[in-house]
Amino acid sequence: MAIIEFKNYSWRYLNVETPALSNINLSIEQGEFIGVIGPNGSGKTTLCYSINGLIPDQYNGIRRGEVLVFGKEVTTYPKGTLQRRVGLVFSDPEVQFTSMTVEDEIVFGLENLGMSLAEIRERLEWVMGLVHLKSLLKKPPYELSGGQKQQVALASVIAMTPDIMIFDEPTSMLDPINRMSVFNILEEIRKKHNSTVIVVEHSLEKLVTLADRMLLLYNGQALLFEETRAFFQNMPLILEKNVDPPGILRFFYELTRLGDFSGQIPLSLEEAESAFRDLVRQRFSKS
Amino acid sequence: MHKTLLGYIPEDSPIYKLHPFVRLLFLLIVSFLPLLIPAPEWNFLILIIVLVLILYARVNIRVLRIYVPVAISMGIIILISYTLLGGYHPEYKVLFTLFGKPFYWERIRDALVVYFRILPMIATMVFFLTTSSERDIIAAMRSIKIPFVVTYTFAMGLRAAGMVLEDFSIIRQAEQARGFDISGKPLTYKIRKYVMYMIPLFAISLRRTEEFTNALFARGFSFTGEASKVKRADYILSCYQFHFYDGLIATLIITCLIIVLLLRYKFGYFSLEKSLINVWFGQH
Repeated sequence: MAIIEFKNYSWRYLNVETPALSNINLSIEQGEFIGVIGPNGSGKTTLCYSINGLIPDQYNGIRRGEVLVFGKEVTTYPKGTLQRRVGLVFSDPEVQFTSMTVEDEIVFGLENLGMSLAEIRERLEWVMGLVHLKSLLKKPPYELSGGQKQQVALASVIAMTPDIMIFDEPTSMLDPINRMSVFNILEEIRKKHNSTVIVVEHSLEKLVTLADRMLLLYNGQALLFEETRAFFQNMPLILEKNVDPPGILRFFYELTRLGDFSGQIPLSLEEAESAFRDLVRQRFSKS
Repeated sequence: MHKTLLGYIPEDSPIYKLHPFVRLLFLLIVSFLPLLIPAPEWNFLILIIVLVLILYARVNIRVLRIYVPVAISMGIIILISYTLLGGYHPEYKVLFTLFGKPFYWERIRDALVVYFRILPMIATMVFFLTTSSERDIIAAMRSIKIPFVVTYTFAMGLRAAGMVLEDFSIIRQAEQARGFDISGKPLTYKIRKYVMYMIPLFAISLRRTEEFTNALFARGFSFTGEASKVKRADYILSCYQFHFYDGLIATLIITCLIIVLLLRYKFGYFSLEKSLINVWFGQH
């Protein structure tokens, strides 16, 4: 059963001529890991906010169509209830801090869920083990580095273990090491929990190895929504829409286009290594 | 070191070990005491006690240096207000005359009374802020059952103050990076330019308000409706233990208040008429 459904959904912000999202039709199953890509202004964040209920609750605009989450229209949820099941990490970690210390930041969401003190402590312990930020518990979030802030923001949403987790450019401010660490956390969530995860990203190297399906948004329209490998078979379209796919995918796409490679396009470095070795072995054995 | 609202305090500071409620009680009662006591020498004694407590708490004494010019300026303003603008009564005694203007003893005395009432109140506030973090203040408020919404709004107000200062600093740096610097310019120029900062600061504050609302919303928090009826476990408060010595000190503080009230209103102590400076200057 689809956990998220968009039915002919459009959203136009007030005082803006063009709609941010236009006639979106898609459905996402429970437990899926979805990667959302597209150039700036394509509607990725608007899509995230539409699932979480921020749109239309906190934003003024013209809404058409439906967004169903857990089978129910988003606008019919009582205030504050949907958001306890749909977690959202904003692209700028600074804007989502609501408390004085890292510890309080993580606990805030758990208190909103009505958890007991014992449950809160247990959950805090668990999430600290996941993000390795125990030494920062007493620090104010705004005194942390960009990477640490992003990890705290992640932790504060993950701690709530929502059924749906949306990460809007969670690595936008991170260096490569910290970016890898965030994706490792997402990978762990994917393996151990059955949460539906939606990640908006520009940096695709690691995302493509985790995503079950990828969605391409452009000018508010959903141009492509397919299983990851099939998605990247549409390389000309992806490139045309100003998305920068990982080098490995482009490399093997070019090889496929030139007729030098006929296998499945590898998504990870390990797969690429293996595919390339096989290709070289084949070439040497032919010659 | 623990970060407090006005600096840092060592982890083993004896005052920091007290429950935030006791520190808040101290602030509320001791800062109220000068209002009951007109006699300046007694308020001066309260000031000395508070300063000793600040030293005992191992607060960095440099924090107090900032307040010395403030205290002096305030004293001058109060003295000028009372002596030059304070009015006249036929029974007033002229202490001296300066440039033909009489200075009355009663006006100077009243200025001293007001000044020595304000000083210990400020010192008590400084003591509280140098020994308490934002979290401590929230815990103190929640321990006296102030509603979550009120304490949370207060906490955000505290945070907002810091954010405004940070934004101001960023705006200034951005201007300096573009070659605009007001150092060395006349004061009137600086005042005009400072007004200019208000516009972007105001715009940023509005944007922050919207972002903060979104953050609360995204975390499932609501001030009204079904979501607001969920019983919240008070995690912050659970991190502070109320010990026997907290109860003892709280009792001592309340007892001091009762004693002062009795001495003041039942037995007439601490009055201005019996004040040492009034008696001494009155004789001379």
